[in-house]
Amino acid sequence: MNYLSKEQLQKIKSQFATVEYDDSQAEPALYVARSEFLDLLKSLKEKVSLSFDRLANYTAVDYKDYFEIVYNLFSRRYNRWVTVKVKLEDHDNPEIESVTGIWEGANFEERETYDLMGIRFLNHPNLTRILMPDDYDAFPLRKDFVPLEPKIEGGELVWHKPSTIS
Amino acid sequence: MAQTEHYILNMGPQHPSTHGVLRVKVELDGERIVHCTPVMGYLHRGIEKLMESRTYTQCVPFTDRLDYVSSMNNNWAFCGAVEKLAGIEVPERAEYIRVICAELNRIASHQVFIGSLLIDLGAATGMIYAFRDREKVLDLFNIICGARMTCHYIRIGGVIKDAQDEFLKETQKFVDYVPQMLQEYDNLFTGNEIFMERLKGTSIITKEDALRFNMSGPNIRASGHEYDIRKIDSYGVYDRFDFQVPTGTKGDNWDRYRIRFEEIRESARIIQQALDSIPAGPYMAKVPKVLKPAKGDVYHRVENTRGELGFYIVSDGTTKPYRVHIHRPSFINLQALDTMCKGLLLADAVAAYATVDPLMGEVDC
Repeated sequence: MNYLSKEQLQKIKSQFATVEYDDSQAEPALYVARSEFLDLLKSLKEKVSLSFDRLANYTAVDYKDYFEIVYNLFSRRYNRWVTVKVKLEDHDNPEIESVTGIWEGANFEERETYDLMGIRFLNHPNLTRILMPDDYDAFPLRKDFVPLEPKIEGGELVWHKPSTIS
Repeated sequence: MAQTEHYILNMGPQHPSTHGVLRVKVELDGERIVHCTPVMGYLHRGIEKLMESRTYTQCVPFTDRLDYVSSMNNNWAFCGAVEKLAGIEVPERAEYIRVICAELNRIASHQVFIGSLLIDLGAATGMIYAFRDREKVLDLFNIICGARMTCHYIRIGGVIKDAQDEFLKETQKFVDYVPQMLQEYDNLFTGNEIFMERLKGTSIITKEDALRFNMSGPNIRASGHEYDIRKIDSYGVYDRFDFQVPTGTKGDNWDRYRIRFEEIRESARIIQQALDSIPAGPYMAKVPKVLKPAKGDVYHRVENTRGELGFYIVSDGTTKPYRVHIHRPSFINLQALDTMCKGLLLADAVAAYATVDPLMGEVDC
């Protein structure tokens, strides 16, 4: 696996004010603020010297105080990788702009992230649950997740918040 | 005055041609498809969440249950990610055994594809032939690890048991049989007129669309992209073998069928080269009994039979992964279903489902 060179990383950093990375690591991830991340991803994809045209992996991680969105980008032309991470500080109400405008193929993965992690994507064409039931009111991949209890009420399946054990 | 309106039809979740519990909401105008929306989640087991509460070694069997017809490749993807995270060097012999097993599994998986495509198009005889030969591969797995489908054979640091001479000998016999097997398939159904009529020129995914939907595996190669991770972003010892990446030109159902057909041939070539040059030596690296990778995250991907299977693992320095995300090719490939089916007759949608080849264990994860 090849990674971006130090010079290229430096160049990206000089163009985007909020980009930061850890120099000591061999393959540092680019941390970028939410205000600039769409511009950064767009330039990573469209600049010929970078051409990261594939969104190889896309996910979110719950760090209890904040969320982190991870983009693993791959350039087919140069056979190179870069990781971009965006921190979402607001743990109670996480939201971020959708990247479906740049990579249309991120559609299902964003829906999955919304479904399991509870991150809302702005400007997403169809942000609905994809794996869990539509009326499920919890997000399973969060660290504070407690499974809901299924009950049949009047012939309908209803999900209840678990009763607290005292 | 006569009035027509669109009609919504549910195909699945229990439908013989959706290969599992895929439900497709089809909007019909007469007999033509206007829209089709895949609805999934009927097999969702929460494997990503389950892995967070188990040690790295205990996670490996879960990967068998993702894409249950190509479990070797899944094992390899996860183990590769953990090895990268923990800095484990895999012995040479284990790498070769992995290649042999993964390619055998690719052949078996493509035979399931061919068999199920045929039965979906009404040719039940063809399916019997493909499954008969798949049995030969499963018997090989039975020799090497005692399991047939959920193998759990590739482990972190190598493979659990050495490949016996009997296995290598039987594999050689199978590889010798492959050209004859493919010839038999060709004689039996490839030239069949009905078969060709139904596949040629239907459900086209253009070169641009394949990229737009982020597709991978045989599906993107059928649309003309030479995108094979074994070739472009090689892992294991794949860079030592000489093999072609078959690509299609039109991206129709026929191309997707032929690609798999050619891939069986290439897989057999890789296995032959691996059998010829397999070195002696240890088959398992020294892996600590309590595996505690350093803090950090890693993304590792392999060319699964259905495309690009990747594991993103975050370690917090304990024995259990903090977060595992699985990038599943079948799930991503399903995004193209709507474009593929637009304007088709309902009966042809079945062929489209079969050639995009989703496996619900992997889609729902």
